[in-house]
Amino acid sequence: MKKLINIMREVLEDETIDTSCSQDSSENWDSLHHLNLMLELEEEFNIEFEPEEIAEMKSFEKVKEVVERKVH
Amino acid sequence: MSYFIFRNQTIEPFFGNKDVAYSGYGDISIIPDVDNFIWFYQLPLSNFDKHLSEEISTYFDKLQIVLQQIPKNAQLVIFTLETLFHVQFVGYDFSIYSAINDFNSKVFDLASKDSRVKVVDFSEFTRHYTADELVNWRFYFISQTVLNPKLAKDFKAWWTHKQDELAYNRKKCLVLDLDNTLWGGILGEDGISGIKIGGDYPGNAFSCWQQSLLSLSRYGVILTVCSKNNEADVLEAWENNPFMVLRKQHFSSWRINWNDKVTNIKELAEELNIGLDSMVFVDDNPSERELIRQALPMVEVPEFSGKPYDLMPTFKDLVDKYFRIYTVTEDDKKKADQYRAYTQRRASQATFANMDEYIKSLEICVNIMPVNDFNRSRIAQLTQKTNQFNLTTRRYAEVDIHRMEKQGWFIFCANVSDRFGDDGITCTIFLKPESEYCISIYNLILSCRVLGKGIETVFLNTTLNWLRDNNIKHVKAEYIMTAKNSQVADFYDRAGFTFIKSENNGEKRLYEFNLDNELENKNYYNVNFNK
Repeated sequence: MKKLINIMREVLEDETIDTSCSQDSSENWDSLHHLNLMLELEEEFNIEFEPEEIAEMKSFEKVKEVVERKVH
Repeated sequence: MSYFIFRNQTIEPFFGNKDVAYSGYGDISIIPDVDNFIWFYQLPLSNFDKHLSEEISTYFDKLQIVLQQIPKNAQLVIFTLETLFHVQFVGYDFSIYSAINDFNSKVFDLASKDSRVKVVDFSEFTRHYTADELVNWRFYFISQTVLNPKLAKDFKAWWTHKQDELAYNRKKCLVLDLDNTLWGGILGEDGISGIKIGGDYPGNAFSCWQQSLLSLSRYGVILTVCSKNNEADVLEAWENNPFMVLRKQHFSSWRINWNDKVTNIKELAEELNIGLDSMVFVDDNPSERELIRQALPMVEVPEFSGKPYDLMPTFKDLVDKYFRIYTVTEDDKKKADQYRAYTQRRASQATFANMDEYIKSLEICVNIMPVNDFNRSRIAQLTQKTNQFNLTTRRYAEVDIHRMEKQGWFIFCANVSDRFGDDGITCTIFLKPESEYCISIYNLILSCRVLGKGIETVFLNTTLNWLRDNNIKHVKAEYIMTAKNSQVADFYDRAGFTFIKSENNGEKRLYEFNLDNELENKNYYNVNFNK
């Protein structure tokens, strides 16, 4: 979880990222940053997201949910 | 350094967002006031019919229009076209490949005549990857990235290096060691006939390397020697070894003695009247290389493996890094001027004399329709994803749009296509009734895929005409500034609206428009309005 927050802070270039954040609450989280985030998560956890999952991963909670499902 | 990139696809993952601005997809209508431009077009991935080669030929026409408009002292870096993915229907139909080659050779030709143009051979990057690695269809369909975004890190590393090459002043002089560098073995021990040059391996590798260096010297690179040897022995080897390619007359100067190489190299620079920073030192001995790196950091000292079969990759690296000619010389400047005059003449006779003609040739269709169950999610997506052509950047979810419909808002979208393909739903407008006769434009959005073709005006005019037909007399509109939508700051001014006032220190501008007369669109747009 700490790791996930760190990745998101770094990729989204937003230090305010926390467990309650979402695309609406983060100024920087636009479509390009979203793509970069997906690429970084895929590489870091060695997983691959389906397009449907990429579309729904728009908050910390959702990101965590999908990543955990994929990793386990 | 800030760059402006002309592109026809999503490439933000590769060039990033720092000090870089992007054109719309295929858009050349906006040319900002910067000195560094990049042209990065690649083929669309999902169009294989005969129009494709025609589309490719428009790239060069567009490029010429751009070249006419960028400043005299600007730089335009053009990436070559490469085949990333192509489906060939007919075994003997190579028209796509010849269109690509045609574009690339015209671009190389431009670079030789116009000092502002530099060409980057994009295959230097792409050839390291398989077809499966170059395109990632998952990301293509999510974000229109033609080039696999997973290659972004590799690309950035390559491009950073490439930029250094482009910025480098070409080096002028090669300083070469002799033993185990220009030939195999040690002259002092093996003798004139014992050193390895010519014949079988490894002599053939050294011959090949000397031959290549000789070719390089014909392009103006000065060859010199700095070697710990007896000068008389070397002069004799140059004279009498029959396999020697590089001989006395090929070297502008040499220091063959037992002094330290730092002193020797400094002397060479003085004698030839060139700066140390225009010299490249090649030596097989790592301690000599380290000495020069420490003592003369302005001299370039590339690695040298010492394996004779690595000499050719070493040679290629030398040329790529230090000796490639990117900029035309003073002598070529006159030619460049003649060429500019020529291209201007050509453009006036060519297919597109101007933007108007170009747009006309596209045969654009704009299909406008109200929100419905099939397009609602796309409209929501446009509000969420579009940053540049977004007048108020109000972002909505599908449920918001549903609610607005129930409250009596008029929401339209438009599907845009031209003879090269269908861009899908790429415009939307939100109209909120204020009274029986008055309506306000809550937002107006155009995807960057369709920028630069006047579609925004057609879409707005047609919508306004429809309002007029429905007894609306008066329209209000607003622009809200964000970090990314400055290109539409004066959109309503250009559309003929009356500026009323600004709020929040100019961050919000309010406009009005009276629907007195029917608005006209240029007749070459094919507009359908499906009420």
